[in-house]
Amino acid sequence: MTAQTSRRTLLGAATAAGAALAIGTPGTAAAADTGPAGLVAADPLLHLLRRATYGPTPASIAEIRSLGATRWLDRQLNPASIADDACTALVARLPLAGRDITAVRAAASAGVFKTYGWEAMFQLGTAAVSRAIWSNRQLLEVMTDFWSNHLNVTCPNGDVWDSRPDYDVTVIRRHAFGRFADMLKASARHPAMLTYLDNRYSTKAKPNENYARELLELHTVGFGAHGEADVRQAALLLTGATVDPRTGLYRYDPAAHATGAVTVLGFSHPNADPAGEPAVLALLDYLATHPATAERIARKLCVRFVADEPPAALVSTLAKVYLANGTAIAPVLRALFTSAEFAASAGRKQRTPLEDLAATVRTLGFGPDASGTAGLTSLYWALEASGHQPMAWAPPNGYPDVAAAWASPSGLLTRWNVHINLAANWWYKQLTRPASLRAALVPAVPATYGGLVDALAVRLTGTKLAAAHTGALAAYFGKTPGSALKSTDPAVNANFPYLVALILDSPYFLVR
Amino acid sequence: MTLPTECGCAENNGLTRRGLLGRGLAAGLAGLTGAGLSSQLAFAAAPHTGDVLVVLSLRGGFDGLSAVVPIGDPDYYAARPGIAVPKSRIVAGDAMFGLHPALAPLAPLWQSGKLAAVHAVGQAAPNRSHFAAMEELERAAAGTSTRTGWLDRMLGGLGATGALAGVAVGSAQPHRLLAGPSGDLSLRAIDTFTLSGESKNKMSTALSALYSGVPAELAAPARSAVGALAAVGTVRAVTSDVTYPDTGLGRALRDVGRLIKADAGLVAAAVDSGDWDMHEGLGARMHDNLGQLAAALAAFAADTAGRRVTLLTISEFGRRVAENGSGGLDHGYGNAMFVLGDGVRGGTVHGAWPGLGAGRLVNGDLAVTTDYRTVIAEILRKRCGVPAAALADVFPGVTGPELGLVLPA
Repeated sequence: MTAQTSRRTLLGAATAAGAALAIGTPGTAAAADTGPAGLVAADPLLHLLRRATYGPTPASIAEIRSLGATRWLDRQLNPASIADDACTALVARLPLAGRDITAVRAAASAGVFKTYGWEAMFQLGTAAVSRAIWSNRQLLEVMTDFWSNHLNVTCPNGDVWDSRPDYDVTVIRRHAFGRFADMLKASARHPAMLTYLDNRYSTKAKPNENYARELLELHTVGFGAHGEADVRQAALLLTGATVDPRTGLYRYDPAAHATGAVTVLGFSHPNADPAGEPAVLALLDYLATHPATAERIARKLCVRFVADEPPAALVSTLAKVYLANGTAIAPVLRALFTSAEFAASAGRKQRTPLEDLAATVRTLGFGPDASGTAGLTSLYWALEASGHQPMAWAPPNGYPDVAAAWASPSGLLTRWNVHINLAANWWYKQLTRPASLRAALVPAVPATYGGLVDALAVRLTGTKLAAAHTGALAAYFGKTPGSALKSTDPAVNANFPYLVALILDSPYFLVR
Repeated sequence: MTLPTECGCAENNGLTRRGLLGRGLAAGLAGLTGAGLSSQLAFAAAPHTGDVLVVLSLRGGFDGLSAVVPIGDPDYYAARPGIAVPKSRIVAGDAMFGLHPALAPLAPLWQSGKLAAVHAVGQAAPNRSHFAAMEELERAAAGTSTRTGWLDRMLGGLGATGALAGVAVGSAQPHRLLAGPSGDLSLRAIDTFTLSGESKNKMSTALSALYSGVPAELAAPARSAVGALAAVGTVRAVTSDVTYPDTGLGRALRDVGRLIKADAGLVAAAVDSGDWDMHEGLGARMHDNLGQLAAALAAFAADTAGRRVTLLTISEFGRRVAENGSGGLDHGYGNAMFVLGDGVRGGTVHGAWPGLGAGRLVNGDLAVTTDYRTVIAEILRKRCGVPAAALADVFPGVTGPELGLVLPA
């Protein structure tokens, strides 16, 4: 700890200095990199919005231009400062999504849904999609998704029917910008995690290794940093952390705890007391502050926000910020988003299916159902075809976060169909839509087909398309970019949704 | 844990093969551009004359000892007092090995010699991480910088280039077995692989154009999608007389059967079956899962009877020999594979059995006596027509005696 303390001041100062630079000065050489094939605009504010939110909207673009990047980021890192009443009211239509274990069980007992039913978990997943699209606290939603994957407890999953919503509230959201050590300890004492990875059934007589292994391999130091003996020792120490079958709440059971000295990586503890919880918490603190954990979390954040193969120097820098700040995440994110590497990465990430869906609804400007949840539910199920419903990844490693894991013909086809089904109002009909999509997206009909494509592409993606691509879209209507456009042409009437969909289908919208 | 579907089809595609996509696919698609691509890809390859290979990945760490039970090994019963399969309930086999009762639908195939097992199979080194072990299983090129999947390399060795030569069925996500320069398709389902809306040809043309002139990692999947849209149309008309179980695996194998019967150029298919990670309450769950597996495999065998098909199962690792405190099994090492097809020397368990005595275990796990790659290599050579020279690329550095598992085609 002494070494870390002595480094802290230095690192904090260094990153802060480097930080303000890159983000505060749009138009620097690094920020002007437009990414592959000029698919994104050379605008650092739009770049930040594409990465730190579920997609730019006219309102969010206006806001960030007004506030500037630094103040915008400050607000996002302090979500309580952002008014979000409409979204809060919206999510209140899914009441079980936010209930604690006792309340979910009480709702089941009262007949609201069946005991062991999946209603609370479906509501939570639907709430996640709704917030991704309509919450003003966008970075909180992005980070909730990030941590939900890092400390994955699959939802829906029959064993956590009562506890998964509480896990979202008290483990993931509560600590999303806080100290990772706190989140890790909260997860280790949460019935959802202890059930999902079987620790609730682990006893000193026959320990169950499942949670101990994933704690080391996935939650903290990572594969290769530990051995089989570490897994077995950790499993022994973790016996006793269980769930009360009567209440469904966390309970520490000294009778199940295996006492005796343990060594895990460089951590050792006499573990003499059957009340072994303090020893468990000490191990978790040790793991959270392990350099290998710092490196892994820094790398995962870079993979999410910077590039699939992130710059090693940035990973290293962020790992130091993480350790210097006692595993607090907000300083790491601030350092990340203000780094030169981030600024230089425009266009180098691709949208996942969830990001694609959310960004589509956001850029089209659709609102949620006027009342009820049918439209919200249909959006949640739209993601089922992509294999990307929030929190639904079955194994404990969470959804992959790199383009190659999603870059399949079938995956693209699914996105393309969502785009046209939304734009043409064939599906998801309960959402609130403008009276005229064309008037909402392109208020004045341009004089030419090229003008129409340009106006719509800028509105939906933030940039004009390359000439060949503009030509291809004009050709879709049997025209050239220079062809005159009349207000009675199908392209701005019945066939306008196809043009919207094709722009959303294009690589310009696929990158973020 | 209980997982949401019986087929965790999307499991673990945490790929990091950007470089691969950038380089490999660019090379594979060089010269193919724009709207002409679909016609060039569709049914373009020379007809495949060998067996279609179907690789069924049992994800989560399949307990081979529950499926192909060593009933003649008393150490098995000693290690699993709560969850061992009683000798009296075995549905097929011999004095040493018996099939789990839930595999009863497969007993006729076992008895008629079309189904075999190989026991004590695994990777060259123990690796008890699901994710690292799966990656290595699918890459199958330890100690090299190779990042392609071995099924992709098989397609390359056969020169298979059709739009439907290598297909992963059941998930929208790309399959890591097929990662690499050979074109491949992930089909969630044949019936839903269709473009919404009217004027599909016009949309396809526009989509091809929109992805022209952009980096390969963006362009390749889009062009494959457009190409496959044309090719899949002919498969959609093919139906099945056989009734498959209405499970994720049943639906996926039914679609593989349709691809085979359509003669659509299928050379290799990858299908996933998830939820085999049973740390807790293994007995009932294993019974249910094996029952679903057996029903789907039996339907597939009936549906594709008379066709040249070999199906094999793989899993990232086996389970520990001894049960844990919650009636489950933690991660282990050695495992069993199934091989199904007309060319199989079935009705028996192949491979060398190391025994389950304390001195024979590896860290509490069944020892591996057969490298899974040698099992597959024999099938590729004898059944699928992969030339010996190409086998060295599919499984670099692998040498091992053939088991005599399959008959020469």
